[in-house]
Amino acid sequence: MKTAVWRLGGWAVRVGVIAAVLLAAEPPNRLTAQDSQFGIKGLGTPGRWESVRARSTGGAFAPFDAFSPLTDASLADASRMSASIAGGTSWRTIEPTGAAQASLRATRFPALVIAGPLTRRIVMGGGFATYLDRTFGVMIQDTINLRGVQEPITDEITSDGAVSDLRLAAAARLHRRIALGFGFHMLTGSSRVIATRTFADSTNYRTSTARDEVAYSGTGGSASLLLDVTRDVRLAGWLRSDSRLRADIGGRQVAENNLPLTYGAGLQWRAGTQAAFAGTVMWRNWRAASPADSNSHDTFNWSVGAELGSLGTPMRFGVRGGQLPFGVGKTPSEVGYSAGLGRQFSGGRGRLDIGLERLERKGTGLTERVWTFLVGLTVRP
Amino acid sequence: MSRCGWLVLLVAAAACTENATAPGVCPTFCPSGSISIQDTIFAAIIGRDSSFSGYLQGYQSTLMTAADSPGVVDSRPFFTSQTMITRIAPKAGDTTTVPLVVDSIRLRLIVARRDKQATNLRLKLFPLPVTVDSTWDFASLDPYFTAPPVDSVSISRLLATAGTTDTAITRFWRTVCSACIDSVRVDSAGNVLLMQADSSVIVYVKLDTLEAPLSAPDSGRVAFGFRVAADSFASVSLVTEQTSAGSGPQLNWYYHYTIPPKGTGADTIPRDTSTSRLISTRFDSFVFNPPSAAIDSNLTVGGVPSARSLLRVALPAFLHDSIDLVRATLILVPVSPVRGVPSDSFAIEGRNVTTDLGAKSPLGTTFNSTFVHIGSADTVRIELTNLVRAWTLDTTQVTSLFLRQLPEAASYTQARFYSSRAPAFRPSLHVTYVKRFGFGAP
Repeated sequence: MKTAVWRLGGWAVRVGVIAAVLLAAEPPNRLTAQDSQFGIKGLGTPGRWESVRARSTGGAFAPFDAFSPLTDASLADASRMSASIAGGTSWRTIEPTGAAQASLRATRFPALVIAGPLTRRIVMGGGFATYLDRTFGVMIQDTINLRGVQEPITDEITSDGAVSDLRLAAAARLHRRIALGFGFHMLTGSSRVIATRTFADSTNYRTSTARDEVAYSGTGGSASLLLDVTRDVRLAGWLRSDSRLRADIGGRQVAENNLPLTYGAGLQWRAGTQAAFAGTVMWRNWRAASPADSNSHDTFNWSVGAELGSLGTPMRFGVRGGQLPFGVGKTPSEVGYSAGLGRQFSGGRGRLDIGLERLERKGTGLTERVWTFLVGLTVRP
Repeated sequence: MSRCGWLVLLVAAAACTENATAPGVCPTFCPSGSISIQDTIFAAIIGRDSSFSGYLQGYQSTLMTAADSPGVVDSRPFFTSQTMITRIAPKAGDTTTVPLVVDSIRLRLIVARRDKQATNLRLKLFPLPVTVDSTWDFASLDPYFTAPPVDSVSISRLLATAGTTDTAITRFWRTVCSACIDSVRVDSAGNVLLMQADSSVIVYVKLDTLEAPLSAPDSGRVAFGFRVAADSFASVSLVTEQTSAGSGPQLNWYYHYTIPPKGTGADTIPRDTSTSRLISTRFDSFVFNPPSAAIDSNLTVGGVPSARSLLRVALPAFLHDSIDLVRATLILVPVSPVRGVPSDSFAIEGRNVTTDLGAKSPLGTTFNSTFVHIGSADTVRIELTNLVRAWTLDTTQVTSLFLRQLPEAASYTQARFYSSRAPAFRPSLHVTYVKRFGFGAP
């Protein structure tokens, strides 16, 4: 039994370190979060800056979780060099009003965090997360008049990529009850975009395919604070501001968009050693960032969650709700339910988290339902 | 835990497949950009167009046309054969020769094209001087073609004949043409018709020694001309020697000779030996009346000697770098309907040139073709999508093309189109293209 534990620990540590090094070196395009049809018309679908642990609680534990990229101050709790990665597979059903239902599937690696103490009071950390997901594909069938003949056509426009958020952060425990964190964010990434038109009359008309790669760039800063009101109650507050997001094709700027100011607060209550509860609220002023865009909306999101059981094998539950920033007409809303399990191994050197999330998004003309299976691995070499 | 871990990895690996494309619900859930298509006729980008003649002569063509449409055209193919031996050494090494005695001759013709609606379609054979060559024209050959024919074969009747049921005959002709399909048809005169898979027919005309005499002064050479006759659609095309060696008219001489006795022992009785010899074509061509008209300011394609037209296209700059061309059609307005027998419709090819040297511009490898119908004044459209698309993608390519008839110099038919000198009817290029998609914007 002892040997088995040792083997698993060794395997997990090696895989975790290798994955962390590779992924941190260059965020892949698959580094994207939850896609949504609501993001097609706007800048994209905002990513979730949450570890699997936090996401299993509906995101409620994200401000207090060192391995969730939401706040920097939480890094102060990382007493040892640690790395955590999250991945998930989603099965998404979209039900447009008056159109056929479609089922989609995607696998993503939404977040990676590496953190470790620099001094006794200061912890440095970094990693990546998804800022905006830009992966989607739409297929449009139509009939157009060409040369006096009604010609059936099929258009397929696909985008595969994301705006990634590379973070370098530092957290300091100023006091036994106060931790302060700051982060510098570099927004980067790209999306491979393809627009294809095929004609039913393929004898006379050639298929037209246009390909390009859109590169994104921007910067941002964040600050956050953790305040232990009592031994069991902790408050969190955070603020983030980003520069304009620049989109380039072949080195030429094709678009520049403002990004929202993000701020939020959270409360965590430890009800003994086997139970913890948390809740968060967060605002993002997407509309102020793009006042000319009638399809963008300010968002308010909330979450409530619980973590029950021992530290080695906790069970997690959570509910989230709120709004999505892009959509025609009224602001799209979302409700999510999640649950998960955690398991420590190798004497606490590693932890495997799994979670299941059910989301329902509703907006003008579309309902979207998503099942997401999440897997997270945290290692402390 | 270990098993659970592996299970998770397996599930994760199995789930690593993507399906991100859904039917678009536009415009609500589609990108703001859309694929925009434009359809434009460039009426004035073809210029500096010219016609040139003399590329191929009738005797260089792969086909020769026989047609007879009174008041329109009279086209007559002819050929002269290679030499045929008139004496043979009965034994190898002997210097003594004996004369051949011809029993019969079979003339093989491959009819590549005929009108299937033609009734009472006949080919008539006329003997010609063996000296016929490229210097002979319609007028000089006319006296021979107006004399009575030596033989005639009815293709329509042969086609209507039931296939022979004689297995010996069938087996013989199957060895002659193993690729032929359908039945072996034989008429009462011994003429044979075999059908090929591409609908062309092979006709074996049986001749006797009076119709095709073996003449020693002529070195065994014979020459025949052909005229076609029918109730309507009197036109056929015969395959020439230029298509491939042995594919032109071919004569099979069946003969025997006598081996003289040596005069000793049992070898005191002369013996007859029968054999045959295939003789191919030395020269074949065709003449027709009226001859092809001289080139004028219009664009001329076809005729004999063959004429080509060179079109130079000044492609607009924006077609080079900001569009994706999906269709390009060359539009040509005929000056007048092409005259001829209705079944003589022919193909016109538009082909790029690798460098523009005027009439001597070498032909490239990108081409397309369309058919021009006899008697039709309709606008001719040639799809040149691949060619123009190549021009848009590679600015170093020469944006000129040749128009030519296919096959060249195989027929009297000649098309004339308005050139850029006629502004109202000049050649134009109809282009359909997709504009560059506006990537990057939300």
